[in-house]
Amino acid sequence: MHRSTYGIVAIAGLFAALLACGCGRGGDASSDQDKTIRVVRNIGGREGFRIHFNAWKKAFEGKNPGWKMELVDLGDNDGAATYKQRIAADEMPEVIMTWALTKFLVDNDVVQPIPDSFYEKYGIPKGTPYKGKQYCSQGGLQFQGMAVNRKMWASIGVTTPPKTWDEFVGDLRKLKAKGYVPLVYGARDWTGFMPLTMELQVNMYDYAPIPGRPSWTAQRNSGKTKFATDPIAQLVMKNMVALMDEFAEKGALSDGYPEEQRMFYGGKGATWIMGCWIAGDIEAQKITEDIDYWPLPSMVGRLPAFLEYKNMQSGWAINSKLKGEKLDKAMAVLDAFYDPQVHQLYLNGEGMFKLATKVPIDGPMSTWPPAQTLFDRMGTELKQWQGAAGWQLALDDMPPDSVAWERPMQEILSGNKDVGKLLQILDEEWDRGRKGQ
Amino acid sequence: MRHGNRLAAIVLAGPAILLYGGFLVLPALLGFGYSFTNWNGWGKSPQFTGLANFKELFSDDLFYSSLRFTLTETVLTFLTFTFGAMVLAVLLDRVKLMKGLIRSLFFYPYVLSLLVGGLLFQWLSNYRDGAVNTVLRGIGLPTWAKEWMGPNWATWLLLAFVTWSALGFFTTLYLANLQTIPEDMYEASELEGAGPVSVFRHIQFPMLVPTITTNSVMSLIFGINLFGQIIVLWDKPRVDTYTVAYYIYRVGIEGNRQGYATAISLVVFIALAAIAILQVRLLRTRQVQQ
Repeated sequence: MHRSTYGIVAIAGLFAALLACGCGRGGDASSDQDKTIRVVRNIGGREGFRIHFNAWKKAFEGKNPGWKMELVDLGDNDGAATYKQRIAADEMPEVIMTWALTKFLVDNDVVQPIPDSFYEKYGIPKGTPYKGKQYCSQGGLQFQGMAVNRKMWASIGVTTPPKTWDEFVGDLRKLKAKGYVPLVYGARDWTGFMPLTMELQVNMYDYAPIPGRPSWTAQRNSGKTKFATDPIAQLVMKNMVALMDEFAEKGALSDGYPEEQRMFYGGKGATWIMGCWIAGDIEAQKITEDIDYWPLPSMVGRLPAFLEYKNMQSGWAINSKLKGEKLDKAMAVLDAFYDPQVHQLYLNGEGMFKLATKVPIDGPMSTWPPAQTLFDRMGTELKQWQGAAGWQLALDDMPPDSVAWERPMQEILSGNKDVGKLLQILDEEWDRGRKGQ
Repeated sequence: MRHGNRLAAIVLAGPAILLYGGFLVLPALLGFGYSFTNWNGWGKSPQFTGLANFKELFSDDLFYSSLRFTLTETVLTFLTFTFGAMVLAVLLDRVKLMKGLIRSLFFYPYVLSLLVGGLLFQWLSNYRDGAVNTVLRGIGLPTWAKEWMGPNWATWLLLAFVTWSALGFFTTLYLANLQTIPEDMYEASELEGAGPVSVFRHIQFPMLVPTITTNSVMSLIFGINLFGQIIVLWDKPRVDTYTVAYYIYRVGIEGNRQGYATAISLVVFIALAAIAILQVRLLRTRQVQQ
């Protein structure tokens, strides 16, 4: 054989080896050989989430010698694109963070039901059943309202949440007159939709499920209503146009979440309509501002309310392919999540409140005084004000997951003030989203 | 062909053909099939829907608006990378002092990650705290400070970002071509008393035609396929900054409609292939004439 032939055979062998490695089914969740449980988490740059995950991993590995818990980090993404790729490649991890994707994951047979005994063991309130079953570990109480800079609001004589939308707007005017940036808002990224979606939920949806009464989502899906014809949707959009006109800073189209964080945490803005997870930043970023967290004012005469996501099935779920020992170990990962120390770090990092009544901890805690003060105030406000389920009444009441809610807000800032056309955008987005369901 | 050569050809070209066929040709053919279905991208049972996706496409306002923006930015990137890069290359070719360093500075952004470049441009162009507006305000020109990411300036911001990140690559191709021009042609032109414009017109430009062909096709494809730059700049892009490539992603990946997304891809592919064929033919004719 010529020397060149040896070379050719060697190259062919190397290529075959590389191909074999590349095509190997290294991530098959059903394999019993591998003693690794891959767990999804959206850590990104959030230090509190990382601290929690490391403690969770340590608790699981300590109680399950020989087994490893491996992180699949989604970063700042919600997982939709990652999960679709992994479903197509048949490589879903063993323990899957579901968040708003529970329905999608159940509908695609990716996750399996969790037994009732799990919820009873930790005193976890169950979410509204989907297809008659429970699929998620739940976690803590996530709620949404608005963060306010207490000193700025106190300077206009306001120390308690405004009761109505008009009162809220009046207060924003006073803040503006005082020389403050009254509202921290950016529309470059996902944060653009927060005021709109929060107000749509507080005003158009029932605060709690009413037996026999279909949610607005159900009515929209059955063709009984539309954004463009709904008087409350018209009112919400009209108020959004006015809000942007009067209070969005010039440059809001180039601002996103990082800019909003800098403005609010840096003491330059008075109000930030954002979820409770902001409380998890206070200690991690050593923020010193005096912050309070208030419910959302209603536009239709209801009491102010926090959007409380506790009816929803959300949290971590188990891959539907798991069985035997691997299923037991995946459940052990969920058990480790409710280890008191681990769960405490979870609540701290997320700024969430406790739902699992049998876990011997209180609410979120911090050694950083401004963070602890905010947690205490959140607890007080939560007790005082109503909770609204918004569209998270049940998985079937969720809007289509691909609606670009930020679109009308970006349009407003680009100069489109026509309420009818803005609502038409939402209708188009909704209909497009449904085609993909 | 000798037996040994045939074996060598199979072994050496085979893997590339397999990879190309498996990861490009086969998915393209499958995509053609999926464009007639309602496949969501991961489900196992797409249903045949005939021409429904194509009918929807021709009445889809978002498709048309993304097509308009794509055409606009494509014309701009085409002009910049085909002619702007050529002018820059000719100028850089004349630089004698620290020419390696200067050329590297132009090429350097091309090797940077797109994400890094996107974040850099976000920081540069932010209305309130961005470097550009800060400088403008600092030198007494506050009215020149603009909302660069807003609707009036978005196209130009995108062009600036794309130009900054890829101009060096297209310029390098021209520079490489310029090095192949025989020195005696320059010497002869010098003896004739030709100035720089004349040298460019009668020597450099004709000799650069093969690279103009390459760069024009590549810049056209670059412009039509523009995608990552939009996402890293805006994260949730406004409709007025949707390119067709981004719209395909939005429909297929975010909207769970791979069938419809592949229908859009197919139509765009046919249009792109037709333009590319026409363009290459035109430039080949010109090359022959030269």
